[in-house]
Amino acid sequence: MFNVFSRRTVLGAVVSLAVATGAAHASTATDFVNSFGGRLATVVNSGKSLDEKKKEVLPLLKENVDITGIGRYCLGKYWRTATPAQRDKYISLFDQVLVNTITDQIGNYQGVSFRVTTTTSTPEGERVNALIDRPGQPEVNMQLIIGGNPPKVVDMYGEGASLRMNQRGDYSSYLARHNGDVDALNAALERQLTHHQ
Amino acid sequence: MDFRQDENSIRGTRSRRMSRRSRALAGALALLTLGACGSLRNPPPKDPDDLADYKAANDPYEPANRKMYNVQMWAYHKVLRPVGKAWIWAIPKPVRHSIANVNETWREPSVFFSDVGAGKPRRAGDAFMRFAINMSAGVAGFFDVASLVGYKQHETDPGLTLGTWGVKSGPYLFVPFVGPTNIRDGIGYGISQGLTPINYVPRGYDLLTFNWAYNVAGTMEGYASSIDQIDHLEQDSLDPYSYIRSAWQQNRQSQIDTIKGDDRATTPDWYN
Repeated sequence: MFNVFSRRTVLGAVVSLAVATGAAHASTATDFVNSFGGRLATVVNSGKSLDEKKKEVLPLLKENVDITGIGRYCLGKYWRTATPAQRDKYISLFDQVLVNTITDQIGNYQGVSFRVTTTTSTPEGERVNALIDRPGQPEVNMQLIIGGNPPKVVDMYGEGASLRMNQRGDYSSYLARHNGDVDALNAALERQLTHHQ
Repeated sequence: MDFRQDENSIRGTRSRRMSRRSRALAGALALLTLGACGSLRNPPPKDPDDLADYKAANDPYEPANRKMYNVQMWAYHKVLRPVGKAWIWAIPKPVRHSIANVNETWREPSVFFSDVGAGKPRRAGDAFMRFAINMSAGVAGFFDVASLVGYKQHETDPGLTLGTWGVKSGPYLFVPFVGPTNIRDGIGYGISQGLTPINYVPRGYDLLTFNWAYNVAGTMEGYASSIDQIDHLEQDSLDPYSYIRSAWQQNRQSQIDTIKGDDRATTPDWYN
């Protein structure tokens, strides 16, 4: 009897520990999204000009989005074959492309509020679902993957698709059609940035 | 990269899917003819990294698909985009919304049977109620009254139902004037046409005229509401073909996962 009880106690303790650890993970990711999202919303909702908003968002993105990690993932196997100089150049270009993509959206969001709905664990990190409210417009459902220590955004999902995976497909396809030449990719990214208004 | 999940874009996708009917056969035939040629199929690469990418892309017919994609984009730039822009300019927004509503409502029987097939009674019930309410109170589908009383639009098609049964997608295909698909969803598309009542309406002269108007309007609305998305994609992507392939396949899988995970009770939410 004692044995059974003690086994149960041990099992119970293990289970509650596991649950507690899971909860702690989830709350770190949720806290992170609440804090990062809150700061973003403050800038986006302020009465400042669009250029000023973009300037203020920049440090927030650098601090909270794992730009280097995402960039590395997007280069796929070509990261290994790239020279250090090619890598550095690629990361600096990718950084600008990603920042542009996000800041381009700022104009579409006014008077936004958001709330975290669910959090689930995935192999890539904690997947946090958030609903973004814009006055007079349909709610936007956004999923962020939060990973690393300190936590950062490592991926975003749009319409059920991982955006870093889409980007990786885009780049690796381009590279495969240009004999794996990372310089060609860098040149294409440079052209993209030049054309960006 | 577009980080928004916007209702308009979803509506555009739906209308586009619906409006493919009249062009599907020609496109499918063209692809099958090309697909039969061995030179248009990529053999699996030897290098393990390349092989992993090859499997992830699920696109052995890439050379043929890219040719078809180029045909589609040629038609888009020469004809569909300018005509779509003119459509947006000429047709008032409420009318465009109504055309999209009609397309959605008349597709509900196919959604209903797909939900039944997937074994999801709550979803099937929602589709049934949407059809009943919108065909009556919504004046033959022109107004989406069902959404106002709590029956929100959702998408299920026979391809997704087959996916929930564990049927593999088969290779990715790009069919001109239909867009991205695969073997399973192509078959599902055929089934959905069989489940759409308008296809059984007798073809008198007036009905034929109506049917053409319905299809042409649906097609125009579908393209018009997608123009911004396609333009963004072409501007932001180095290889739009590959970006579409990745996004579309992931999106289909996520829809299958959503249906599988939808275990809501058949009783209304307030009752639980």
